[in-house]
Amino acid sequence: MADSASLQKDLSRVSLGDRVAFQRVYRATSAHLFGVAVRILNRRDLAEDALQEAFVNVWHNAGSYQAASSQPMTWLIAIVRNKALDHLRAQQRHTADSIDETDDDGTTIEIADDRPNPMQLLVQATEGLRIRGCMEKLDPSHRQSLALAYYHGLSHSEVAEQLRAPLGSVKAWVRRGLERLKKCLEAAG
Amino acid sequence: MNYDRPELLDKLASEYVLGTLRGRARRRFEQLMRTRPAALSAVHAWEDRLGRLAAAVAPIKPPDRVWAAIDARIGAPPKVAQAKSSWLDWLKPVAGFAFGTFLTVGLVLNRPGTFVTVDEVAQSKQALPQSYVGLLLNDAGEPTLLASSTRQGKKLTVKFLRAVDPGGKVLQLWALPKEGAPFPVGVVTPAKPASSTTLELRDTSEKLFFNVPRLAVSLEDAPAAAGAQPSGPFVLSGHCVKLW
Repeated sequence: MADSASLQKDLSRVSLGDRVAFQRVYRATSAHLFGVAVRILNRRDLAEDALQEAFVNVWHNAGSYQAASSQPMTWLIAIVRNKALDHLRAQQRHTADSIDETDDDGTTIEIADDRPNPMQLLVQATEGLRIRGCMEKLDPSHRQSLALAYYHGLSHSEVAEQLRAPLGSVKAWVRRGLERLKKCLEAAG
Repeated sequence: MNYDRPELLDKLASEYVLGTLRGRARRRFEQLMRTRPAALSAVHAWEDRLGRLAAAVAPIKPPDRVWAAIDARIGAPPKVAQAKSSWLDWLKPVAGFAFGTFLTVGLVLNRPGTFVTVDEVAQSKQALPQSYVGLLLNDAGEPTLLASSTRQGKKLTVKFLRAVDPGGKVLQLWALPKEGAPFPVGVVTPAKPASSTTLELRDTSEKLFFNVPRLAVSLEDAPAAAGAQPSGPFVLSGHCVKLW
């Protein structure tokens, strides 16, 4: 990952229409951002589209990046995740329209998912970070719900399906998980 | 829903960033982000908190076609044509300026009694003094500031072509060198369009701008100290050229 200071400088140049700086931003960040998009979409072709749209967006909106309010990588990740989530939803609407996801006998078709386990990612992500202590303090159900939603872009009802839990409980787990995470991070300073 | 309650905004922001805020609720919240700074700053805080989780995702190099597609979509002409058109693009305002000046000089020569303040050396040579000139455009691409300084001079004249509202901040002028970080040039005092202000340079134009192809203006809380970097986006920017 590129260092924040040079990314910040390049983004301010991109806002002036500097293509060379834009290419530097792409080179420094695209692999990481593509990884994030692939993880959410679980399809390379859609992830490529999401990445492309995200960077076109960056080109046009680099001027709106506020160095004071967020790290450049945080800003870029947010853009890519939003594009990936848009694609995921469009894809789900499309799938829901075109095929019935249950077999004739009513059992749900299992769709192969070869992505790494989100819980494993969570452990890796928090390695050596303050956020780790905070994630560990969460109830396992809260932690799992957050990981599935964040890494795989799952909705409340999809998380409920995965964890075989009632929708109402999952909504509460997500909400409490987020609240406690925030409190813990704030307490940690 | 009462969006003035900070805890509600924070809850919506957290689920927006996590991705569990869906459908119409998501669109409504995006609308809210555009109109309420509190909603946007709550989102930024959550992006900062949850963004750390993305650090674990293994990088995957995207295929080259992705960059090619991006490059095409941002309107990149083929490499050779690009160099040519960008040269012409930045030459246009300068050519216009030079032509205007040429007309003025022409008038001065033909009607010497009408103008008394024009540099006589320039008149006699029918050429502009060696100068650095910057034409800065606003976001809409409209010429807004004209900055000029003679090559060995230590004063920069800034002419406002259009009103600029700094909204309580200062208009900080930056030089963007070919290599390296932007450096502060000085603070531009807002003035009514068509009038000029002057700012003192810390060295001659030649020393400061020799390697500077672009100038830009950002809004700052206070004048930037040497070594400082712009805190926000540039509100004006444009090419800086040598007029000789």
